[in-house]
Amino acid sequence: MPEQPIPEQDPITSKSYAAHYVLAIVILIATLFWALWDEAWGQRPWKAFQEQWKTRYSAFLSAATSTSATSEKGVEKNPEYAALNATWKQARDDSAAQAQEARREVDDASARLLAVQSVFTDRRAYVNALSYEIETSTSPSSKASKQKELADYKKEQATVEFPDGSKKQFDFPHLEETYNEIRDERTQRSLELGDVLKPVTAARAKMDEYISDHMVDLTPQQIEGLKKKTADWDPAIVQINVAEANIVDRCESCHMGAREPLKISAAAMMAKGEKKPDEYANSFVSHPEPDLLSIHDPDKFGCSPCHQGNGRATTSVEKAHGNYEHWLWPLYPKENSQAGCQSCHAADMVLVSGDMQWHTINDGKDLFRQKGCMGCHRYEGYDKEPEDLNSIGQQIKQIETQKKSNLKQTAYLMKQADAAESNDEANRLNGQAVDLRVANTKLDGRLQQLDYQSHSLMQDTKKVGPNLKDVRLKLNKNWIPVWLKKPTDFRPTTKMPNFRLTDHQIQAISAYIWQSAFTDPLPKAKSGNAAHGQELFETRGCLACHSIGEGDQLQGGVFAANLTRVGEKANYDYLVRWIHNARERTRPYCPYEKKDIGPEDYAKKGLPYQFDLDHSQCPNDGHELQVQNMTVMPSLRLTPEDAEDIATYLMTQKKQEPSSYVEAAFMDDPSLKAEGKRWVQHFGCSGCHEISGMEDEGRIGTELTYEGSKPIERLDFALFTEVAQRGGKDAEPIKNKEDLARLPDGPAAEPWYNLKGFFEHKLAEPNIYDQGKLKSEIDASRMPNLHLTREQVLDLTTFLMGSAETSLPASYQYKPGDARHDIQDGWWVIKKYNCMGCHQLIPGQTTILMGLKQYQDVQEQLPPKLLTEGARVDPEWLRKFLSNPALNTTDTNRNGVRPYLKVRMPTFSFSDNELRKLVRFFQALSQQPLPYIPEEVPTLTAKETDMARSLFSSSAAPCLKCHATGDPNHDKIATAPNFLLAKERLKPDWVVRWITDPQAVSPGTSMPSGLFKQQNTQWVFAGPTPPSFAGYDKDHRKLLVDYIFQLTAEEQRRVASAMPHAKAAVQPKVNRRQAATETRPAAVGGSR
Amino acid sequence: MNKKTGWTVMTAGTLALCGLLVLAGCNKKENTEQSNNSMAEQQAQPAPAATPIDPATVATVSGTVKFDGTAPKPSKIDMSQDPACKGGNEAENIVVDGGDLANVFVYVKDGLGSRTFDVPKDAVTLDQQGCKYHPHVLGVMAGQTVDIKNDDQTTHNIHPTPKDNREWNESQPPSSPAIEKNFAREEIMLPVKCNQHPWMKMYINVVKNPFYAVTDKSGKYEIKGLPPGEYTIAFVQEKLGEQDQKVSVAAKESKTVDASFKPAAD
Repeated sequence: MPEQPIPEQDPITSKSYAAHYVLAIVILIATLFWALWDEAWGQRPWKAFQEQWKTRYSAFLSAATSTSATSEKGVEKNPEYAALNATWKQARDDSAAQAQEARREVDDASARLLAVQSVFTDRRAYVNALSYEIETSTSPSSKASKQKELADYKKEQATVEFPDGSKKQFDFPHLEETYNEIRDERTQRSLELGDVLKPVTAARAKMDEYISDHMVDLTPQQIEGLKKKTADWDPAIVQINVAEANIVDRCESCHMGAREPLKISAAAMMAKGEKKPDEYANSFVSHPEPDLLSIHDPDKFGCSPCHQGNGRATTSVEKAHGNYEHWLWPLYPKENSQAGCQSCHAADMVLVSGDMQWHTINDGKDLFRQKGCMGCHRYEGYDKEPEDLNSIGQQIKQIETQKKSNLKQTAYLMKQADAAESNDEANRLNGQAVDLRVANTKLDGRLQQLDYQSHSLMQDTKKVGPNLKDVRLKLNKNWIPVWLKKPTDFRPTTKMPNFRLTDHQIQAISAYIWQSAFTDPLPKAKSGNAAHGQELFETRGCLACHSIGEGDQLQGGVFAANLTRVGEKANYDYLVRWIHNARERTRPYCPYEKKDIGPEDYAKKGLPYQFDLDHSQCPNDGHELQVQNMTVMPSLRLTPEDAEDIATYLMTQKKQEPSSYVEAAFMDDPSLKAEGKRWVQHFGCSGCHEISGMEDEGRIGTELTYEGSKPIERLDFALFTEVAQRGGKDAEPIKNKEDLARLPDGPAAEPWYNLKGFFEHKLAEPNIYDQGKLKSEIDASRMPNLHLTREQVLDLTTFLMGSAETSLPASYQYKPGDARHDIQDGWWVIKKYNCMGCHQLIPGQTTILMGLKQYQDVQEQLPPKLLTEGARVDPEWLRKFLSNPALNTTDTNRNGVRPYLKVRMPTFSFSDNELRKLVRFFQALSQQPLPYIPEEVPTLTAKETDMARSLFSSSAAPCLKCHATGDPNHDKIATAPNFLLAKERLKPDWVVRWITDPQAVSPGTSMPSGLFKQQNTQWVFAGPTPPSFAGYDKDHRKLLVDYIFQLTAEEQRRVASAMPHAKAAVQPKVNRRQAATETRPAAVGGSR
Repeated sequence: MNKKTGWTVMTAGTLALCGLLVLAGCNKKENTEQSNNSMAEQQAQPAPAATPIDPATVATVSGTVKFDGTAPKPSKIDMSQDPACKGGNEAENIVVDGGDLANVFVYVKDGLGSRTFDVPKDAVTLDQQGCKYHPHVLGVMAGQTVDIKNDDQTTHNIHPTPKDNREWNESQPPSSPAIEKNFAREEIMLPVKCNQHPWMKMYINVVKNPFYAVTDKSGKYEIKGLPPGEYTIAFVQEKLGEQDQKVSVAAKESKTVDASFKPAAD
């Protein structure tokens, strides 16, 4: 091959690639640094957080130390602390000499032990080695020689030099003995030293305890510990790992302050010179609810089960918070954070921890019932009664079949027995037959219970809206179409939503409702006294549920209807019947026959036309009837005249005359009825109302129990999918101003393609996703506008977001099997009947009545607070009281316990089921076990009775001045219950706590505190005591309580008459209402 | 040469990195120290000490409060329920004598700025006598002790129902020692009642400055020792509400500020 001539300009040799190489190297090195940086920081943004944390938290702790030291000094100035300090010093001085001696002895023993030990351990090692060789050597001869060697070694003398300079010789056994002796001696001496120092350490511990008990913040020592911990911190992932629940949460890698014992605010964590807390400062704050964390230990619950988000992610804040398209459960926004409660607490109607109510989620849960959402949407736990009735019906059927088959089997067995070949065989078969008969008796018992259950459940089934079977009796006919047009135009706070009906739909619906309603005659009521009616309306407690006045003038609760314009729509006679007893039904309904039963059905069987809770069997077939209106409105046990007065007053509440409504003749047009029925079914009206022919209609909406776990793709954003994803200027589709104002965060500007955005928009304007679509009347969204406020949309959205299936194991669900379950159950009943409109059940909770003007100066006229009700009353008494709050079967126009209150505890006609739930609820809420075994109240000696009596009526403890006695003259000025009720009603130990400090049991009560004081260990009356008390060394409170529990009517009269007598303060105003009470019976509701 | 360049770059890079690290380290330290200081400064708040007032310059505000209209007839109280209750039995909610309105609480509501004042060591007395409170309207400084005495031969209970202070309710039998109480927070017309004698009612006014007075039977009041300045003087009557007046007082001035209340609308 000829040699190629070398080109003159060989690029390899002549062209410099230095620039290329430099560039490549720079890139490579940059990549290397980038890789290193990314490995150390880029992929680990939490490291930056932790660095910042160390700096800022250390600074924060240094500042905290000085305040802590100051407050520690403050505590140390306390004489109690000084006393403890003196005790400690005394103990230290007392034991000083002894302790020094003991310590010296310990030191001495230790030194000697050390001296022996060094020689002993050497020799012991050698002995052990030799022993091992003997054990392992195979030839007998070598064994023997080694044994000899060992024996010789043991005899060898070793020298021990003791600390005092003396030397001593020991052979091995003695050496071992000496060693053990000295060791035991040292142990003994140490114990002795401990004993000597015991009072000193105890006193010291008491001092430390006092400091930590009396300091609001941490002690300087504790803070010092935190400082050290922070300074020593090496950046590392902080993770909670709960294998059984598959939780791996690394949130605390950035949120370092979440569980710190000091309260850390974002402001305190700001870097120097900054005006606003930055990302770091915001992430370092301590958890806002440390109490919640103490119930839900993060080491067990992690963070994400409550907050959602991707707890495993550590590469960016967005990913960790789950705010990216590949994560299904993004972090709940701050305002919706209570959604997290729902995943484990779906069975709780009210969430309280301590006295902290979780308003957002609680209100959401409540609104779902209150606004009638459950009328269209099934949700596990809500409106359970019809479902339970159904399942009980099935159980009854099953048991009846079982019984029949048992009977058949019994007959067969007996027949077999008669023909058996042997006596043994016959006896065995007869035995089986007997067992089956016993089994049937047990089934009968079960059947009976199921019957009671269905009776209860029928009673407990309520509807959110009124019974429309009564519209002809109840309403101004011409008002109905006006109402349907837009209910909020007539009554802005109504529960009835706006269905966006066309005029034609309104005509058809009103025609159906009108034509299908009852036409039974109503008893005529006399006209009443409106002024007296108004007084009753304002004082009996109606305003705890109902409101009157609109806008700023609105007074009262929104649980039930606003009555400002009730005079325009109501029929007076019906209103009187309703106020007297709202549960009174026009005709009973038989769910079995699916028809309303009338007098003709009763007449056929020759039965009187009587139906109530005691007469609830269908005359045709004995099935359980619905005998009450399905309303939660109770009976206030008013006389018919009082009911007339209130109705007369309410009829004056109007803005225009009923006659001014335009005649609606179309409602009688039979040709509209069929179409009307279709629309009523279409809109699901029977979800909230009783309507003829629609008693068995199902719910028309989708089930919402797990709505919060729907993947976003399954929610139809319709034409707004894109804008919702994109956000920006046109992101907000709602145009209506009123509806826009319902959005918790105002018009959307950011992307809102998430569950929160969907729910908020749907709730603000339910047909929003129809916008721009071509839909027929039938296809258009049926969901009505619930005219919610901003807060209500937030509450309901939070509730729905939390309505998610959880991946947590069942043990994480809050489904307690003990008394706490009774609390859970009870809240549903409490909320159902709005008990909290009148009563305070949670410390600090406000009631509707508390907010009313008329109670501002007379708080003692408010219904009692029930903060410790279960500990206060005997559960059996409570059951009786709840079923008949008048505590009297004939004289019912009164309060049983507090006759002096104008506001009245109504008769709710609770079913046995609900009574049971309520009694258990109150007992459980006060940690009282069931069944209740009353405490024995000792019988007082004659002397003690005498003493108690004299104290009871002394001018220093004028108990009977305020407490009712049954003397009508006195009771007019009484402001507390009659003592005669105590025995049956109260628990004695509670009464002791009550009279010790009533303000702690029921803050604001008329009963003053400070009646008793502690003298040494004895509780004595704080005021002057009668002379007979001299030398009495028992508890004065107990004496008084025992006396109250053995008080008889006669004794009470005697004591009352002995007291400085009081004349009636005000002459009673006799008016026709009170006079009438004696002749006409008051309504007793449906109580049994 | 290439190799050399590479090393140079690398060395330079490493050095720069080290330098940065060192710098970052230094900065951090500095930051810590600085923020330490600022924290300490923030924490060390001076204990509120009374702002001195020059006694040579102080002014006086005084005046008369009138009732403009027909004085309502005082309603009678029926005290017959307790024989131990004797004495005047007219309600004290509006006390008018010849057009002069008593029991009006007058105080400097605004204008003292951030001045603070010593809480008087002396207690004020609230006396229960004849089943009535004496006085009916009381002024006291926040934190000042109120001695509550019972001169009646019957048991009373003292039950304030405040809005911004803590509620309490204590029994006081006859001839028992005075109850000592104080109120920590400013509150005007804080109602006090006795549950056993429903007519017994009085008002405590808790203020943060010593410039307050209650009008006497002739409707007169006097506030002394006021440093010169611009003030809002408030006149508060339990039933008739509050009236504010702006005044400006010069050093050593004696200013007259009158007020008059009209009958309540209802």
